[in-house]
Amino acid sequence: MTDTTAAKPIRPTVTAVNRPFWEGCNRGELLLQRCASCSRLRYPAAIACPTCLSPDATWEQVSGSGKVFSFAVFHRVYHPSRQGKVPYNVSLVELDEGPMMLTNVVEVDNAKLDVGQPVQVTFERIDDELAIPVFKPAG
Amino acid sequence: MAWRQAAIAGVGVTRQGKLPDETPLSLAAEAVRLALADSGIDKREVDGLLTMPGTTSPEGAKNYLAVGELLGINPRFTGSMTMGGATGGALVQIAAMAVATGMARTVVCVFADTARTGGSRFAAAAGGDDSWGVWGMFGNAANSAMGYRRHMSLYGSRSEHLGWVAVTCRKHASMNPNAIMQKPITLDDHQNSEIIVEPLRKLDCCLISDGAVAVIVTSPQRARDCRTRPVSIWGMGQGHTTENLRRREWWYLPHQRDCISEAYRMAGVGPDDIDVAQLYDNFTVAVLFWLEHAGFCAEGEAGPYVEGGERIRLGGSGIPINTAGGNLSESYMQGWLHIVEGVRQIRGECGPRQVEGAELCLVTGRGMTLNTASCLILGQ
Repeated sequence: MTDTTAAKPIRPTVTAVNRPFWEGCNRGELLLQRCASCSRLRYPAAIACPTCLSPDATWEQVSGSGKVFSFAVFHRVYHPSRQGKVPYNVSLVELDEGPMMLTNVVEVDNAKLDVGQPVQVTFERIDDELAIPVFKPAG
Repeated sequence: MAWRQAAIAGVGVTRQGKLPDETPLSLAAEAVRLALADSGIDKREVDGLLTMPGTTSPEGAKNYLAVGELLGINPRFTGSMTMGGATGGALVQIAAMAVATGMARTVVCVFADTARTGGSRFAAAAGGDDSWGVWGMFGNAANSAMGYRRHMSLYGSRSEHLGWVAVTCRKHASMNPNAIMQKPITLDDHQNSEIIVEPLRKLDCCLISDGAVAVIVTSPQRARDCRTRPVSIWGMGQGHTTENLRRREWWYLPHQRDCISEAYRMAGVGPDDIDVAQLYDNFTVAVLFWLEHAGFCAEGEAGPYVEGGERIRLGGSGIPINTAGGNLSESYMQGWLHIVEGVRQIRGECGPRQVEGAELCLVTGRGMTLNTASCLILGQ
């Protein structure tokens, strides 16, 4: 049995809370929430500030530069959308502004990927409505 | 001064492995029957029932209703909880608190699952947010792999260190006739096993099993009259991280250290007092982290500590760990068998794998996306 639909990439669950993030990605901008009360930046998007619980937040563009905090390299295919794409890395990137993102580091040899490596955000175009934030080696 | 206001009076373990003719309820019934027989307590005495729904129990948080009906128990005190591999310890803690406060006299805690036969549900997108699948983050190995990658980078630990955990746990399983995987392995076997999520290999991963476990908690007074030697709860603790990405130190699981510190304080003991440890091992790397969190070695030193297996094996020079084989080699009962082995070590029932003169056993559990942790310190 061949399920051709299963091979499509997984799409994010877009909600009222995280929609500005994904719309920003689609424009090539990395936007994070900043609490309007205590001014802390946060990721992932949340209904309320996890520090002061204020529901008020603004969206602001961040530099998109950071460092690899850690990573894992998948050799096993857990989902049909990854068929033929192993090995690939899933990485934690710590942005210069502080927040940590789960992502992929692209345009890199997985054997040379390293903790502490400087990276810069880029966007992987899926279709007209979706671009995924990933990172590439900086400098 | 140790807490010791509740005791474990009975444990029951079904056959483990691939059991296609069983269901979670048929296994639960068998485990409870065995635990009652182990303790000599009559079912009519049971007035508390706490359950962990298995991955193949569709009723989820209402599991206690199905299990209560099955067992013919109308409890004074009940509930179900899902904290992954921390649940067994956490339910024993709740049972102990219920007994200590008088809300229940004798509590049966039970877990039953047919994950092996019923189809593994362990390959979903990792993390609380489904969106993690967008970046290909699936399954349970990846978070542990990332944690270990950072440990390797900061402290120079290596894949071979994980291998010594796998080899030692298998060696212990070879002394356990109930273990699913009894054939010894070598470090080369580990190094040659398939890479799953680098730096983790197949032999770094736990089994997936069918089976059930029941644990009976009652008062120290009642336990003294039971068929088996009572095992007292000296101390217990929990710790949790709910903010995966927002807690910078999440990768190191600082809540596990807090959880054990709390239990040490309650028991009035420290790492040097512990004779044997059952450390939750969904992946080999978990053992390394626990060794550091429990203070058996310093932060960052677990790699060299386990090298050669000398300090973690039975009859070795350090702390014998996972004496029945653990999740890696005995069976994957999400930590419930770690409690059972802790009880049996304190009772002195473990035959060739008995730690001579074992007076205190540390039992740990952890679960979800490395969010939850619980631990027990068991003694006489």
